[in-house]
Amino acid sequence: MKTRQLSIYRGPCAILTDLNLDIPQCQWTSIIGPNGAGKSSLLQAMAGLLTHTGSLTINGVELSTLTRKDLAKKLAWLDQGSSNSEEFGDSLSVYDTVMLGRLPHQGCLHLPSSADHISVKKTLQQTDAWRLRHRPLQELSGGERQRVLLARLLAVDSDILLMDEPLANLDPPHQADFLKWQENLLARGKTLVTVLHEIHFALRADHLIMLDKGKLHFQGSSQDPRTHQALIALFDGRIRLEKLGNDWVALPN
Amino acid sequence: MRSMSHARYLIVGVALFLLGFSLAVFAAPISIVDDRGIAVVFEKPPQRIVSLLPSLTESVCALGKCGALVGIDRFSNWPKSIQGLPKLGGMGDVNIERIVQLKPDVVLLERASPVIARLHSLGIKTFALDIKSMGDEERALKKLDAVLGTTESGRVWNQIKIEIMRANKLLPSRGENIRVYFEVNPAPYAAGRTSFIGEILSQLSLTNIIPESLGPFPKINPEFVVQAKPDVILLTESNASDIQGRPGWSAIPAVSKNRICVFTADQNDVLVRPGPRMGEAALIISQCIQEKLSSSR
Amino acid sequence: MQKNYFLSKLCGLLILSVILVVLGTLLGSTGASWNVLGPDQTIVFDIRLPRSLGAYLAGALLGLAGGIAQSLFRNPLADPYLLGSASGALLGVGSILCFAYLGNSWLEIIGLNGGAFLGALIGVLASLFLAGGYRSSLRLLLSGVVISVILGAANSLFTFIRPDLFQSIQSFMLGNTTLMHWSGVELMTIALFLCLAITLIISPALDALSLGENTARTLGLPLDQLRLVLIGILALATGCAVAQTGLVAFVGLAAPHLVRKISGGRQRVQLIFSCLGGGILLLSSDLIARTLFAPLEIPVGIVTAVLGGLYLLVLLRRTPFGGRS
Repeated sequence: MKTRQLSIYRGPCAILTDLNLDIPQCQWTSIIGPNGAGKSSLLQAMAGLLTHTGSLTINGVELSTLTRKDLAKKLAWLDQGSSNSEEFGDSLSVYDTVMLGRLPHQGCLHLPSSADHISVKKTLQQTDAWRLRHRPLQELSGGERQRVLLARLLAVDSDILLMDEPLANLDPPHQADFLKWQENLLARGKTLVTVLHEIHFALRADHLIMLDKGKLHFQGSSQDPRTHQALIALFDGRIRLEKLGNDWVALPN
Repeated sequence: MRSMSHARYLIVGVALFLLGFSLAVFAAPISIVDDRGIAVVFEKPPQRIVSLLPSLTESVCALGKCGALVGIDRFSNWPKSIQGLPKLGGMGDVNIERIVQLKPDVVLLERASPVIARLHSLGIKTFALDIKSMGDEERALKKLDAVLGTTESGRVWNQIKIEIMRANKLLPSRGENIRVYFEVNPAPYAAGRTSFIGEILSQLSLTNIIPESLGPFPKINPEFVVQAKPDVILLTESNASDIQGRPGWSAIPAVSKNRICVFTADQNDVLVRPGPRMGEAALIISQCIQEKLSSSR
Repeated sequence: MQKNYFLSKLCGLLILSVILVVLGTLLGSTGASWNVLGPDQTIVFDIRLPRSLGAYLAGALLGLAGGIAQSLFRNPLADPYLLGSASGALLGVGSILCFAYLGNSWLEIIGLNGGAFLGALIGVLASLFLAGGYRSSLRLLLSGVVISVILGAANSLFTFIRPDLFQSIQSFMLGNTTLMHWSGVELMTIALFLCLAITLIISPALDALSLGENTARTLGLPLDQLRLVLIGILALATGCAVAQTGLVAFVGLAAPHLVRKISGGRQRVQLIFSCLGGGILLLSSDLIARTLFAPLEIPVGIVTAVLGGLYLLVLLRRTPFGGRS
């Protein structure tokens, strides 16, 4: 995915200005930055949820030229998980929730085809949630719920996965699980773009995009020492980076 | 000579005494019990009267004391002579300030009126009368007589009875009674036998298809009317919309032979207000029925 | 396995509906008389059958509208009247009654029913206009409340100026199934099929909404257009029902809740069942209203409130509402 001079405005205010980004295929790109930097807006623009000026292309094809359905097949979105379960009404079963991921592939009447059923079964088995398939979503624990939503994400069968703070409301064991799924997905050739505010998770990504007040601060590989410099500069020198085993960790200075 | 002047003094003295005594008697305060059971005391007949109920306005005028009215409610509209009087609101929005400004000797209203306590606290005398039936009106006329110092109630009541008799004569004397249905409201709400209209219908020997057990204004199942097959249907103009169009009603003889009496708004006022015009109400009904029955033979 | 359950539940509801309609032809002003072979049999079928069918269809329209309202606004307290349709319909009826003396031919063609329908539509349009569109659910809800209050005040003013119309307006407010005729039944049948068909086609969008608006959009759904269509159906269904039976309380609110336990979560199923449930609720209430004190009739809105309310109370006490058990 590439963007050239991407800008997003809400009314007279510019949320993002003149971003030129290159997001590599089959890798995990993480977008980080301080609060209000515009990370979520950037992700939403990539998903086609916000109107933008400038160019945003996927494999050379301009986003705005794609039909809604085509775009839906190319990318899948995972929202930030909520810490409380749905208060109202959703006794949708796990199976039906995952089936929703097949919506971009279905016709007008949205009747599930056999291909849809096969796909749902496959993704549920992949995320180890097949045995839960008849339970209503609101009865699941946090970790189980995350697995089901991930299965829904996979059911879309897209190449690009966009995730907005996927680890924010999970406890550490579930975060570990989630990161393992992510590695799995990368191995299968998916492109991941996530917005994170936890720097130590972001540093596990392949590629980092740093935003500051709507402008690009730096983009580069996470192993590159220049990236680390830029990261420290982004947070005004208030952090320092340490290597812990295979991982880099950011600690307050 | 001396006995003559003595006698003269005696006669003058007795005359003076009798005069004084009669004045005292006539000037004695009268106490009348109103419908709340409260005895209201009048030093002398009230000269400035406010009436907050159309029936009471009409009754006061029927007793000849229209001139004493200084204020009426919004709905009083008969006789024409009172229509210029200040209107003091309806049931929910009585203009208390205005009433006080008019300085009435008494305010006539109904028992359930919400302003009684307020008027009392302002020192205004109230007299409550509930008129919901013919008997109520007769009683009210007598009490108003006592309050107003008139003696007209007997004459008024006789007049009413004469008018009702005339109305009766208008109707063809048939072996079987004429079955009627009076609809108050298209919900449909009907006038039962214990309502005021129902009483008038009974006075005219008309059979109300609504039995007595259902109360004064029951909300009736229209199917019941179809099954009861009234001979004449009575309604007001504003409710007359499309009665022939009601499902199944074309089978009722009253509808198929067009024996439907539609009363104007003015006539409706006479019909639903229990007041001194009930004789006129009987005449309105019987005239219409007689007309419909004879024209559709 | 799940599909079988759905079919059997659907059949169960349909059978119950048919039973109630049949009962409707037997019960009437003579109380619970099982004697159908009276001399006025045809008349009774001319009155009782359209009335029973009409009550069922009106309830079905309100149930469908209520289901849509609750799913669209994701709010268990939503009902079909919340976008100003109720106050609008009331104002429409009041206007027609008030200006009836003019004798305008347009007014006669429109009639009370047309007035209620147009009023309901105008109410919803006013809410949409005030909210500046259908994009924000919260804004739409709030503007619906504002419009309801404003139009409600206009109604009160009306009855103040013309107190003689008060009783007629009140009977409309409490709901009235007594004068239902075959043409009304035909109108409602057409409206019901139209609304139900369109709703069932686009209801997966409501399922997707439960995952969040961003997610639903990225799944390729034209959310804005679909929302507008759903609001349109809400207005149409409510308007048609209200035009025939007046403002029956509670059916639109209670019907989706009553069927939620058996509908299993999918919106397609939930909306069909809300529809049937609404019909069953209103028809049962109508049967009770005309039989309990025959030939007196209780206003049907009172019975729906009592019935629906009692059943909801029982449901609420049995299950913890919301949250995990």
